[in-house]
Amino acid sequence: MSDSDLRVAIIGGGIGGLSLGLALRERGLRADVFEQAPELAEIGAAIALSANALREYARLGLVDELAAASTVPTELIYRHWRDGHRIAAEPVAKDNAYVERFGAPYFGIHRADLQKTLSTAFGVENVHLGCRLVNLVQQSDSVVLEFANGRVEHADVVVGADGVRSTVRRWVTGADDMVYSGTSAFRGIVPVANLPSLPDPQAIQFWMGPDAHLLHYAIGGHGEAVNFFAVVNTPRIWLPEASVVDVADEVPVASFRGWHPAVTEMIKAASSPIRWALFGVRPLLHWYRGRVVILGDAAHGMLPHHGQGANTSIEDAFALAALLTEKPDDLESTFAQFQVLRRARTRKIQRSSWVTSGLFHLPDGPAAEARNEKVARFVQDFGWIHEYDVQRALHSAGVAPAAAAQARA
Amino acid sequence: MTQDEVLAGVAEVVGRIAKVDPVNVGAEQSFADLGIDSVTMVDVVVAAEDRFGVMLLDDDWSQFTNVGDAVGYIQQLAATGPTGATQPAR
Repeated sequence: MSDSDLRVAIIGGGIGGLSLGLALRERGLRADVFEQAPELAEIGAAIALSANALREYARLGLVDELAAASTVPTELIYRHWRDGHRIAAEPVAKDNAYVERFGAPYFGIHRADLQKTLSTAFGVENVHLGCRLVNLVQQSDSVVLEFANGRVEHADVVVGADGVRSTVRRWVTGADDMVYSGTSAFRGIVPVANLPSLPDPQAIQFWMGPDAHLLHYAIGGHGEAVNFFAVVNTPRIWLPEASVVDVADEVPVASFRGWHPAVTEMIKAASSPIRWALFGVRPLLHWYRGRVVILGDAAHGMLPHHGQGANTSIEDAFALAALLTEKPDDLESTFAQFQVLRRARTRKIQRSSWVTSGLFHLPDGPAAEARNEKVARFVQDFGWIHEYDVQRALHSAGVAPAAAAQARA
Repeated sequence: MTQDEVLAGVAEVVGRIAKVDPVNVGAEQSFADLGIDSVTMVDVVVAAEDRFGVMLLDDDWSQFTNVGDAVGYIQQLAATGPTGATQPAR
């Protein structure tokens, strides 16, 4: 089978699925994306794209368009929950420090803007909306995909990029591997003009305190709004079927009683009192079965405290595209190699994000002081997350990096 | 699987990741002394999982202090089957 004959079906039109479509195209392979939603409307407000993902988009020539809709944070700042003093800070846009260190920029962007750039670049004609996967049937030489709308498709390879509640993962592992973290979040987007108490509104900032933390960063081409994510250590168990529930208007701000006015002002200014349960995916031994493989949150759903859920999905996408093009006839070995390349990396970030949640929520005291010393060593302790280069990792594994593959095509 | 077989497998994995000769990796050696921190430990865990075909649960391996802890845990898993970990239908 030549590369171009391989029929690749991607389940999920989120950031991972669309990135895979683009990554496959870069290597001369076409794919179809099947998305259950009737339109592309990414949930979850905003996202921070870091160098490990942006260096891939940069190669595809997407960075200028993304930059026009993004804000580069001035600094990364950690603050005390009550008095707001700076615990630690690291320059980002300042002195071009982040790009100098990690080789690509750091962007705060609305998810909808990112998704629009990706889907336009990929080609909306290859994105099939309103297609909710209900069944996979593996045959000897293909997979039959059955959708709720009656559509039936045949593919040689199926990639589940369908998120933390993945249908494809359930087919691969035979179990529900989603785990509730015991934490939930309130989120919102607030115009900077409505945040008079906020110091450094253009920075990415963590406010850390007992049983909770607040993260925010500016988004939009001119840093005109602030996206926030306020995490609390409740409820201990999550009973609803849905991941989000409405709460009374006063609940979000009441969860941050006694915090710095900038924190309560921001939470109060958001219009939607919704609680989001934070789920992860239990580490898995296998990410594939037969002709079907999973990536991104479906494979390694993680807590968002390193801001790496989408970024690692993008890494996965470019790694899988390279491996699939290399050996389209030997899926077993391709998928095994994909796991070898990706499982330890994503497990580390998954684990570290889980541990970080607890560290951010320490009460004042010796443990919080030790944590403060750790966050002050951000580049030394967490630089490995941002400096990662998928193409270099592929090269080390003996796979042709994208530029070489393009030249060969 | 005997304890010696598991130890040999763990020593091979630890040796590769810590860049030391596996013959110099013993059960009593601490991961800290081998230069394995909490991040590098994940490389050991994932490599051991792939080698032995069992899942090492985060809450469990994060308590390991020496090579022997990992060996005892893996030996128990191999004998009783994985606890709480997903085994895909293959």
